[in-house]
Amino acid sequence: MNTAHPTRPPPKAKAGEVLLSVQALAVAYGGIRAIKKVELEVKRGEIVAMIGANGAGKTTTLKTIMRLCPIAEGKVVYDGRDLADVVTEDVVDAGLSLVPEGRAIFPNLTVRENLELGAWNHRNANAIAETEADVVALFPRLGERMKQEGGTLSGGEQQMLAIGRAMMARPSMLLLDEPSLGIAPRLVADIFEAIARIADTGTTILLVEQNTRLALKYSQRAYVLRTGEIAMSGPSAELAQNDEIKAAYLGG
Amino acid sequence: MSPAVKRLLYVALLLAAVLGLEFGFDHLVKDAAWRQLALFAMVNVVVALSLNVINGLAGQFSIGHAGFVGIGAYTAAVVAGNVDVRLGPDDLGSVVRLCARLGVQDEVTIHKASDLVKSFAVMPPALLGAAFMASAFGLVVGLPSLRLKGDYLAIVTLGFAEIFRLLIATAQTGGDQQGPISAAIASLGGQNGYAGPLGTGVPQFAGPFWIFGAVALATILAWRIKFSGWGRALRALREDEIAAAAVGVDPTAYKVTSFVIAAAGGGVAGALLASMRDGNPTVQPDQFTFAYSFDAITMVILGGSGSVTGAILGGVFVTFTVKMIEQLQGLDAVQALKAAHPNLDLNALRMVVYAAVLIALMILRPEGLMGERELFRRTRKLGPIGKAPVEPVPVTTGAEAAAAKDPGGEARS
Repeated sequence: MNTAHPTRPPPKAKAGEVLLSVQALAVAYGGIRAIKKVELEVKRGEIVAMIGANGAGKTTTLKTIMRLCPIAEGKVVYDGRDLADVVTEDVVDAGLSLVPEGRAIFPNLTVRENLELGAWNHRNANAIAETEADVVALFPRLGERMKQEGGTLSGGEQQMLAIGRAMMARPSMLLLDEPSLGIAPRLVADIFEAIARIADTGTTILLVEQNTRLALKYSQRAYVLRTGEIAMSGPSAELAQNDEIKAAYLGG
Repeated sequence: MSPAVKRLLYVALLLAAVLGLEFGFDHLVKDAAWRQLALFAMVNVVVALSLNVINGLAGQFSIGHAGFVGIGAYTAAVVAGNVDVRLGPDDLGSVVRLCARLGVQDEVTIHKASDLVKSFAVMPPALLGAAFMASAFGLVVGLPSLRLKGDYLAIVTLGFAEIFRLLIATAQTGGDQQGPISAAIASLGGQNGYAGPLGTGVPQFAGPFWIFGAVALATILAWRIKFSGWGRALRALREDEIAAAAVGVDPTAYKVTSFVIAAAGGGVAGALLASMRDGNPTVQPDQFTFAYSFDAITMVILGGSGSVTGAILGGVFVTFTVKMIEQLQGLDAVQALKAAHPNLDLNALRMVVYAAVLIALMILRPEGLMGERELFRRTRKLGPIGKAPVEPVPVTTGAEAAAAKDPGGEARS
C-alpha cells in the first residue's frame, strides 16, 4: 500500500520520534469537563492504543485532536505544529485522518463515492486510483460493492469503508475510534489485521478501543483513560499482565 | 469524432432546438393559455432545479426561495425596463430592412424577429443583474444563517423572504421627508406592483428561446454540480457533517456557496417570470408569498430530493396539477354543485384536492418520484476497481485465528 501523499512531504519527525503530543489537554462541553488532563505521545511508526470505559473521554480526545471540539486548556502538537488555531480541513491536510466512532460513512453515497470523498484533500487522480486498488486489496469485500450505497453494507463492511475512506487521504497518522464497535467478532479480527497491515506501511496509528484484549494485542504502547485523565500507561504487553487492568478491563 | 467537435455539435443542436421553439411554439401548442402554462412550468423547473442544490444536495432546509425569485424578478424588471425604454417601442430598422431584402413580407414574423433581436439587448443584462442581485442576498443571508441547522435555518430563510416581500408591499410614495432608500423601495410600486420605468408595463422579451434556453442551461449546470466532486462534497455534508469535515470538506464554505448558487438560480427564474412573454406585465409582491416558496419545496420533494430529473418532473407536475384542478371547475358536475351550494368556496376546495393528490403521492412514493436517482446516468469508466484484488488478505492469519477461536472472550468491558 503506497501511503505517500502526492503533494505533502512526509512528517519532519523521524521514525521513533514524537509525531503527536497531547499536553495537559482539557475539553469542556458546556461547562462540564469531558476530559480534564490528558497527556499522551505517539511516536512515528507506532500503534498506540487508548483504552477505557464508556465516558472516559476517549472519543472526545480524538475529536479534539482533529479539532472537531474546542480546546479548553492544554495543547495538541502534531509534528512540531500547534493545532490550536487550525481548522479540521487543515488538520486533514497536515496528515491526520480520523475514522469516526460508529463508522459515520455517507449512507446514500456509493462505496466508490465514499472512498473518493476521502481523497478530498488531494484529489489526485493517480493517487485515488492507486489507493482505491490498495483499499480493495486490503478489504476485498469492498471491491464487490463499489456501486452499492454505503448504507446497504453490513456493520463490518461499513467499518472497512470508513477505514478505507480515511486511508484515501494518504494520512501520515490514522486515528481510529472504536473500530470493533458493534461488529461481528469474525470481522473484528479482519479489521484489526488490516490495521496492522496499514501500520506496516509506515502509517502511525492511534487506536481508541473498548475491546481491551485486542487493543493491547495489536498495539505497542497503551494509555488507560479514566474519567478524563490518564490513569496508567506503558508497553501494551506489560499492561496486559497488570492485575488492575486484568480485573477492570479484561474480565479477571 | 473528437470530444470538442461533439460538444460543439451538442451546443449547436441545443441552440437550433430553442430557436426552433421560439418560432414554432405557437404552432406546437395552439392554445394560448396552455402555452402560457408551459412557459410558467419551465420557469418553475428553474426554481426547482436551483432549490434542489441547497435543499436536495446540501440538505439545508431553506423555505424562503420565493424571496430570491422575487429579488430576481424586481431586479430584472428594473434593468429590462430601462434598457427597453432606451431601445424605443418600434421594430428595429435593421431587422425590417433585412427582412425586406430576404423577401419576408409577413408583419407578424418581422415583428417577432425584431423582438428576438431586441431581446438579446434586454435579456442578458436583466438575467445577469437578477442572478447577481439574488446571489448577493444569498451570501448576506447564507453567511450567518448556515451556521444554523434544520428548523432554525428554515425560520431565518422564511423570515428573509417575508421581510423582502413586505418591505416592497408596504412601501408608499411619501412626501419630502422620505429618505432616498425608502423612495427607491417605494418606486417599485408597493402593493400594486412595478410596471416599468414609465408605468407602461415590464418589457416581455422572455419568449420560448430564453425560457427553454434557461431550462437547458440550468439542467446542464445542475447535472454537472451534482456529479462533480463538488456535488459529492455537498451530499457528504448532507449525510454527515462531522464525517465530511473529517475528510477535509469545509462545511461552512460549501454550504454558503451552494446557498449562493441556489439564490442565483432563483434570481434567474425570477427574471424569466418578470419578463415572460404575454405574462403579467407588472411584478407584484404577492407573487412571492410563502405559498410560492412552499410550491418550490413541493416540487423538489415530490420529484425526489437531490435528483435533477426529479426537480424537472416536480416543477412540471406541480404547475400542471394545480392548473388541471382549476380546470375541473369548468366541469358541468362542479358547476351544478356550485349552483346548488352558493356558499361553497371552490378555490378553497381546489387546495383540498391538491393536498389530497400530494398526500397520495407521498404515501405511494415517500422518497419522491425519482428518489435521488436520475433518468439517465453517465456510465463512468471503471478504474482499477473492477479488477480482482492483486493480493487478497489471507483468510486466517495467526492473530485472526486466535481471535476467531475465542469470540466470546472479546465481549467488551
